[in-house]
Order: sequence, then C-alpha cells, then structure tokens
Amino acid sequence: MLLAHAVTLTEARSYLAALADHARTVEASSAYERALLELDWIHGDDVPALDTYGLTDDRDILMAVATSAIEQLAAYDVDALQIELLLAALDDARALDEP
Amino acid sequence: MYGENGGLIRAELSALLRQHRIQQRIGGDGIYTVPATTSAEERQWIGEQIRRYRQGVLVWCHQATVAAAPATASNLSRTPVNPFRAADTRHGALTALGRAVEQAVDASTATLATLDELAMPHDLPLVEHWRHAARAAALGEHDFDAGLGYGRLDAQQSQTLIADIAAVVQALVVLDQRYSNIPGWEKLHRPERLGWSALACALDARLDPPDYAIDMRGWRPPTKVVKGPGKPGLHGVLQAEHNLVIRMRSFPSAMNLRLVVDSQRLLSGQLASLVSKVEPALHDAWTVREGTYVDLQHELRNVGGRIGTGGLAASEGANAVSRLRAIRSDDGLDPRLLHGFTTLFTALDDRIADVLEEGIKRNCYFVRVQLLPVENPSGDLVAPSRERYLPLGEVEHTSIVRLARDRLRPIPTRDQAPAQAARSRAELHAAIVHQPDRRPAWPTLSM
Repeated sequence: MLLAHAVTLTEARSYLAALADHARTVEASSAYERALLELDWIHGDDVPALDTYGLTDDRDILMAVATSAIEQLAAYDVDALQIELLLAALDDARALDEP
Repeated sequence: MYGENGGLIRAELSALLRQHRIQQRIGGDGIYTVPATTSAEERQWIGEQIRRYRQGVLVWCHQATVAAAPATASNLSRTPVNPFRAADTRHGALTALGRAVEQAVDASTATLATLDELAMPHDLPLVEHWRHAARAAALGEHDFDAGLGYGRLDAQQSQTLIADIAAVVQALVVLDQRYSNIPGWEKLHRPERLGWSALACALDARLDPPDYAIDMRGWRPPTKVVKGPGKPGLHGVLQAEHNLVIRMRSFPSAMNLRLVVDSQRLLSGQLASLVSKVEPALHDAWTVREGTYVDLQHELRNVGGRIGTGGLAASEGANAVSRLRAIRSDDGLDPRLLHGFTTLFTALDDRIADVLEEGIKRNCYFVRVQLLPVENPSGDLVAPSRERYLPLGEVEHTSIVRLARDRLRPIPTRDQAPAQAARSRAELHAAIVHQPDRRPAWPTLSM
C-alpha cells in the first residue's frame, strides 16, 4: 500500500468514524459503523489506524469529505463497484440520520 | 446434574430402606397366608441381579471419594511451620472410606450391570428401585469430570459431597445386612469397616454447614443450535440470540467480532426501548449494556486480526436485529421471555470478554498503528521499518482490557440450592433408621 493510499484510507476511516460518533440515532450510528466495516473488508482488514481527534462535528462537512475520500480511493486500484456500493451504504446511513 | 442424579440415588435407596421382609418381596415364603411364588434358584438369580445394580452404586461412591479427595482437608491438619512445605491435607476419614469402598468393589464377584439391564424394566418393584439407583449412578459418573472433581469445589461443597457419599454407603451397609437371607447372597467386604468409616466421614462433614449449591453443578446436556425457520415474534429474536451464543464458541476474527458487537449494541437499545414501560428494571440494565457495547465498538475500530471464524455468529446477530425490527411495539410481551434475554446476554457478554482476553493472550488481535509523518523522526541515517500492527498485549491498551473485565464480565453469583436439596438428604437419613410399623398393642384386661 502506497503512503498516499494509506493517507486517503485513514482519512476515509476517520471521517466515517466521526460520522458514527455524531449521528443522531442509534440506527444511523450503526449504519455508519457498518460502512466503516465494509471499507475495512474491501481492504482485507489491512488498514491503518483512524484518528477522530480534532475533526469537525458538522455532519454535512464530514459527509462531504468522507464521500470525497472514498471516491479518491478509485485512484489506488480499489474496485470501482466496491466503491459505489460503499457510497450507497453511506447514503443509506445518511438517510437514517436525517432529522 | 449432580442434584438430579444424587437425588435419584437417595430417593431409590430411601424407598428400598423402607422395605422390610425382603424374602416376601422377591416372591419367597413369608407368613403362612402368602405362598411362595418364586423358587430358590429364581431368588438367587434376583439376588445376583441386585448385586450387579449395587455394584454400580458402589463404583459411584468410589469415584465420588476420588473426586472429593483433592479438595478436602481434615480439620486436624495444621499449617506447616515451613511455608515452603505443603500442608498435610489428607482427610483421614475420607481416605479410610475410599479405601474401604475400593476394597468392597474389588472383592465383589458381581459385575457391573449391562446397558440392557439398566434400560429394561423389571417386574419386581424392589429390583426396579435398584435398577433406577444403578441408572442414576451410571449417569452420575459424568458429574465428577464436569464440575465436581479436581479441586473445583469449595470446602463446604466438598464436605456436602462427603456427607452424601457417607449416607449412601451407610444405606448400602444396612441393605446388605437386610438382604443376607437371599439365597446365594454375597455380603459386602468388611461391612463393619465400611459403616464406621462412613460414620466418621458423616460426623466430620457435619462440622461445617452444608452447601447444597453443589446440586447445581455437574454434567448438563450440551445446548444445540435451534434450527429451522425463524419463529414468529420475540421467540425468533430469542432463537437467533441463543444460536449466536452457541456460534460464539468458535473464536471470531476481529471483523466478525465487530459485527457481533454492532448487533448487540442495536439489540440492547431496541429491546430497552421496547420494554421501557413493561419492565423498567430491564430497560435500565439493557441501556447500560448498550453503552458498554458502544464503547467496545469504538475500541475495536483500531483492532484487527484475521485469525478466527465467526461468520455464522455475525449472521445470527444480524438475524436477531432484523427480527426485532419486525416486531410491533404493541405486541404482547411475555415477561418470562424477556428474562430469557438476560440469561443469554450474560452468557454472551462473558464469552466476548473471554474472546478479548484470549485474543490478547494468543496475539490473535492486533492494534493498528497510526501513520507517521514521512520525515524520519528518529534522526538516524537509515529509517527503521515502520510497524503497521502491534500486539494488543505489548501496547498499553488497558481501556479494552478494563472494559472486558469490569463491564462485560458479569458479577459472579453463587448458585442457589434447589428447594428440595435438604429434604432429599433428610429423607435418606430417616430411612436409614426406618423401622417397620409395629402392630398395635393388644388390649389388656385392665382396659
């Protein structure tokens, strides 16, 4: 895994974890956690550690940067279908998190 | 369970001890109004059959003395002055009883009853009692390896076991004396020694208060997965949770463990909201459990490890959550069913705590290392290779250990003794000194 790939992956994981931490409902938080699990599963659980320290608690910003980071993973030979499925899971979690 | 098998042995021996005039009961001639229905050869055969059943009970007694021996200490033993020398923990009375029972087993010419003899009912009620006692003894042999032997009992439970053995041996000695008129009957080897050593054991055991919680120990049939389609309503959730507890016996990989933890978080939260009006105490307990699993989920985000399975456990967890979502809140909730979840949750929490500790101990779970900056922070000319994972045991990752030990691990509680435990023993003790009912005294002339 290249360093740039690892950095992008770390960002994606951290944003997903932050979204799970700041979700309004238990179901939405669990859906974000499952999206994080799916991201780990795509990489065979060979992923760097996440760190949510210092991240914003604005869920809109977190959602935007998480989507952007996941889309960037396509540049590192991650399967495009897996990325689309992950984005769909993220949208589902977002739908649960809507007020 | 020891309570079931031991209770059955005591109940059958109590019934036998209340039966006097043995010759009549096996078809022999007694009073002049009751003719003999069996020949001497038949009675001899019945006697041999009874001795085969008795041999099974004797073997049970011997195995019980062997199982109780390592955990018992005589009240006479003193703490040695030299702390590096082991204390003399031999229990004099139990050793004597164990040796006497062993010699009685060896000296008997009777073999153990075969499986057919244990399973086939007999016409005579007296022999039938012996058959049931031998069956219970054969089943009770499992108990000593599954929770009763090799130092698994505390001092009070050991003394209770010794008192039980002593009572059964006393009963066998009394019955042996009573059956001596059966044709071809072979008496126990040195019955007086057996009786006295059993008495000494019983007296010594009574120095401590008994702990009948021993009845809840022993072998239990293994639980199995409830197969088939999901049951309707809350039964289906309980079914999936039960299956999850069984599937978690195999060691799960880190990802599957995270899925199971996620399912338990959802299940606890949804169940807590479901029972908030019906069972407030359960609502509080399950809300606390949900918080525990939220924290555990956060801790496991940076834990990896590919060793293990757990796919079936994760799917059962998902089944439980999806079935619970389908339940409407206004459906009738059976309180007994709800408390069934508490039992399963306790078992699952205990197992997950075991899995975490085992994973740390066996280095199956690793903690992910955060990315370091590209610049070499060590200042060396050659940068050392970067570690991507570290064993959980090496890093000071105490929060997950504390979480497993303090919050997941249930508080150990003592087993409650069954209600009939003391009565079962008291009945045998009363039967040992049972006397046949005497005829009423003839009216005298003065009356």
